[in-house]
Amino acid sequence: MMEEALVQEPPTVALELEQRFHLFVASHRERARRLAWRLVGGDDAAAEDVIQEAFIKAYRALGQFREEASLATWFYRIVVHQAHNYCRWRTVRETWSALWHGGLPPAAVQESGDPLLRRRITKALAQLSRSQKEAFVLVHMEGFSVREAAALMGKPEGTVKSHLHRALQALRSELADLAEDTGGNAS
Amino acid sequence: MTQPRDEWSQLDRIEEQFVKRLAAHYAPKPLTPARRVALDDAIWSRLQRQPRLMRLTPALAPVAVAMLITCLSWSGLFRLPAHQGDPSVNITAMSSTEPWEYELLYSRELTDTAEPDDGLILPDDYLVIDRVFLDK
Repeated sequence: MMEEALVQEPPTVALELEQRFHLFVASHRERARRLAWRLVGGDDAAAEDVIQEAFIKAYRALGQFREEASLATWFYRIVVHQAHNYCRWRTVRETWSALWHGGLPPAAVQESGDPLLRRRITKALAQLSRSQKEAFVLVHMEGFSVREAAALMGKPEGTVKSHLHRALQALRSELADLAEDTGGNAS
Repeated sequence: MTQPRDEWSQLDRIEEQFVKRLAAHYAPKPLTPARRVALDDAIWSRLQRQPRLMRLTPALAPVAVAMLITCLSWSGLFRLPAHQGDPSVNITAMSSTEPWEYELLYSRELTDTAEPDDGLILPDDYLVIDRVFLDK
């Protein structure tokens, strides 16, 4: 695609496209990776796969979006979708693997900070429905507004608010000790 | 994609602290410069790899179709049409054969007798036709 763009477009346009893409990757790399990491349950390799795929799709669509904001919305929507696809396939793989080989090896997870607490949070998030998890991660963890999250999830704002409320209740119930500890020392 | 914290106003102080704590503990380590370069390289190499596959698609498509037809032929799901003039047997027609037709067609094979009189087997309608056209 990149080579095609270089052939089809005049050199200046192709160069501009590449520069735009470099800037786009630089601006959104960290946030996209963090979002994907949280949505796929703290798996580094999976998060990087997800954002690679999303960036490739963004490159192909770069010419169609004149405004950076609309491209970013579209891009994060792809990240959310790719992360969901990854989780779905992981569930299928785990099911089959458990049947035939007795389970998959655990995913490569960074062991910085408090690994035990992170595992508890991963487990609590995994118990939420897909929409509740996406809404909670997008709004409360990643700082998207409800309106933006609704656009990314393809759902009405009211539905997203409802998911947020239920997700928060469920997490507070599951991680009650963390909710009660207001002293700032969570670990 | 700005970050207006429009939801934070709806959370009380304890909920807000809970959410902040979750976000702080549930985050990946920032990418190291080396890892960042590796990630960017991976994206660019994947972008460059894709057109080669796309260029090969026209060449690979007929091969794929041929392989598909071969596989289906072997499995019996797909049959190539017979050439014109090739002998073919219509199984559907044979299945509805009347007893007298069966007798007419196969009696010689089964009994191996010489030239039996078909007039004994044929229905009356057919006998009329038989007499007219065969000058009996």
